[in-house]
Amino acid sequence: MGREAAGRGVSAVQAVPCARAMFTLFLLHIYDTRVICSGHGLAAMRTLLPSDRRGGRYLLAAALCVLTTLGAAPLRELLDLANIVMLFLLTVFVCAVRLGRGPAVMAAFFGVALFDFFFVPPQLSLAVADAQYLVTFAVMLAVGLITSHLAALLSERTEEAQAREQETRALYELARDLGGALAIAQVTDIARRFLGRLDMDVSLLIAEGGSEVFPFRQYGGRHLSELEQSFARSAYQRRSIVETDSLAGMGAAIVFLPLAAPAHVLGVLALAPQRDDVDELRQQRPLLEAVASLLAITLERLHYADAAQRGELQVAAERLRTSILSSLSHDLRTPLTTLVGLADTLVHRQPALPEGATETAGIIRDQARSMHHLLSNLLEMARLQAGNVTLNKEWQAFEEIVGSSTRLLATLLADRQLVIEVPRQLPLVCFDAVLLERVLCNLLENAVKYSPPGARIRLFARAGETALEVAVDNDGTGFPSDRIDQVFNLFARGEQEPAVAGTGLGLAICKAIIIAHGGTIVAENRPGGACVRFTLPLGTPPAVEEEVSA
Amino acid sequence: MSETQACVVVVEDEPQIRRFVCDALGKEGCASLQAATARAGLDAVAAGRADLVILDLGLPDMNGIDFIRDLRTWSPLPILILSARSAERDKIAALDAGADDYLCKPFGVGELLARVRALLRRHWHSGESMPRHQFGDVEVDLVRHVVSRGGAEIHLTQIEYRLLAVMLANRGKVLTHRHLMQEVWGPGYREQGHYLRIYVGRLRQKLELDPAQPQHILTETGVGYRFQP
Repeated sequence: MGREAAGRGVSAVQAVPCARAMFTLFLLHIYDTRVICSGHGLAAMRTLLPSDRRGGRYLLAAALCVLTTLGAAPLRELLDLANIVMLFLLTVFVCAVRLGRGPAVMAAFFGVALFDFFFVPPQLSLAVADAQYLVTFAVMLAVGLITSHLAALLSERTEEAQAREQETRALYELARDLGGALAIAQVTDIARRFLGRLDMDVSLLIAEGGSEVFPFRQYGGRHLSELEQSFARSAYQRRSIVETDSLAGMGAAIVFLPLAAPAHVLGVLALAPQRDDVDELRQQRPLLEAVASLLAITLERLHYADAAQRGELQVAAERLRTSILSSLSHDLRTPLTTLVGLADTLVHRQPALPEGATETAGIIRDQARSMHHLLSNLLEMARLQAGNVTLNKEWQAFEEIVGSSTRLLATLLADRQLVIEVPRQLPLVCFDAVLLERVLCNLLENAVKYSPPGARIRLFARAGETALEVAVDNDGTGFPSDRIDQVFNLFARGEQEPAVAGTGLGLAICKAIIIAHGGTIVAENRPGGACVRFTLPLGTPPAVEEEVSA
Repeated sequence: MSETQACVVVVEDEPQIRRFVCDALGKEGCASLQAATARAGLDAVAAGRADLVILDLGLPDMNGIDFIRDLRTWSPLPILILSARSAERDKIAALDAGADDYLCKPFGVGELLARVRALLRRHWHSGESMPRHQFGDVEVDLVRHVVSRGGAEIHLTQIEYRLLAVMLANRGKVLTHRHLMQEVWGPGYREQGHYLRIYVGRLRQKLELDPAQPQHILTETGVGYRFQP
């Protein structure tokens, strides 16, 4: 018996390192999962329990093992030892499910010890009489550890899932709140409320151009120091999260998350934890990133909503302007048309009116016509000044508007000597014929206005390298040399005393039209008169297939 | 007016303008029917006897373009439009819808009567064949396809000749760019406006005394061309 016991003792000694190795393996495995789990911010926070409560769990596990021993002791005679092992395994399993991994591991070892001490012969001794019980111990320990590990893992996963669900719900609620936000201040409030629960002070920095050093407008939070501002700028420019430990615990912002929308970065979210725990903040980074992207989406929505609203306003204003202009044009044109027509009727009356009356009627007609001309110029200027003139550009010959404008002004030009120098082979130019005709008419009218009867008026055009060059000059006194730069300004007049009728609109309209075509216009004096030159960019006219048959 | 007394329907909502237009027409020897609305105008034309319609594009009860389209479904009467100078788009739409000519407000009696005379002449002579035309020092024989200037024959390409023929057939009438492109080049070229500009330029150089100040092939800026004998 003694020899036998000694033999078994040797076996027991050999079995111990084996069990230790297995245990170490498990601890490693457990450590690995813990590392993986800790990535989830809130979940990880929740799984960390206060140490006193943890101690209580170990005690409870030990108590359960003792209870199992007490419960199984009376049954020792009735049950097989194999079944008593089962009771211990059940205890370990319960510990794993209810108390977590640590207590369960402890229960596994403690259970093996209790089983050995109280049930395995020789009882009330740790010595083992039959070596085969070592196998029982090993299996019992292994099963205990495995089940405890699995059960603990399961409950951990459940907790984790619950925590994640909570996190998702919180984010969902944040998204819902942000969805209703109509202003950046509101967005800031919502963000502060949400992150305030994590003990963080929030500053929302919205990019607004402005200064190079700090191109943001700050919402919420206290004034940021220069260092914090530079971190924020860096996060904004590099589109990446900037974290700094150097300011931790000083109440300063230490995490700067760029608010990146698909199109562009809208600003930076600066977070200052109210506690010094930097690690905790790091654990919550995924959550913070999610918050930042929600904020970015909301801010972008606000940005586009704002732009859409502004566009709508602009369209409404434009519509109003157009309708005012067109009704003005109609309401003023109608009486002028009547006036011109009725006065002209008097001029052509048969039998003729007394000479003085005919002359008067003629003057009324001409004045009404020039008033109409003024009205057209004013309306045209209003349209051009609105800035969004749609040019009705087409490829056409410049020669055509020379012909049409001189025909329109035939009466006016009758007592001037008009010289037209337009080469026959000018390339086609892309322009709005109606507007360019207006330019030529205005320039020719001016030339007539500021030259004596019989004076020479020259209309000259030639194709330069990149532009068509046109000039209209007239014999006369020319522009006053001190104000030659101002002649294109609205309501600028050539002479101090307006001896000649006109409004000073003509050249301003010319300039607006030429600029809209991408050309240039200058006024200058030449010996014996004035000259206005303008250019129109030459492009590549569309190809023309020549006729096959000659 | 010679021949019979012409009857002109004046559709214009402004009574003062209507009045002086009718006044002028009366002195020219034309009878006139006044209508203040499009509906009344259409009724007046339908009553028969009318030779010409003068139409203001800005009527209160109907778009002028619709009036023209409506009228064109049952009457070939010449239509003269009164419109504002800046409304090129309206003019083009009206001309494409079937109007014959336009007059920009404000206009004098002389301009009005010149247009009315030209349109009535065209209307009355519309059935007559015109195998030969003469303008300036140019003679065109449409039967023999011969164009001569100052007695010397001028060579025109096929397209130039076709363009000239379309213009001659519509003497005095404003032809929109679109219409001319369609008539001379066919529907596929409708958007190739530069062809028309180039060929009109060539025609002017062959037929006009001073192509920069043409007397016959006139530019209606932003709208089209008008041939004036």
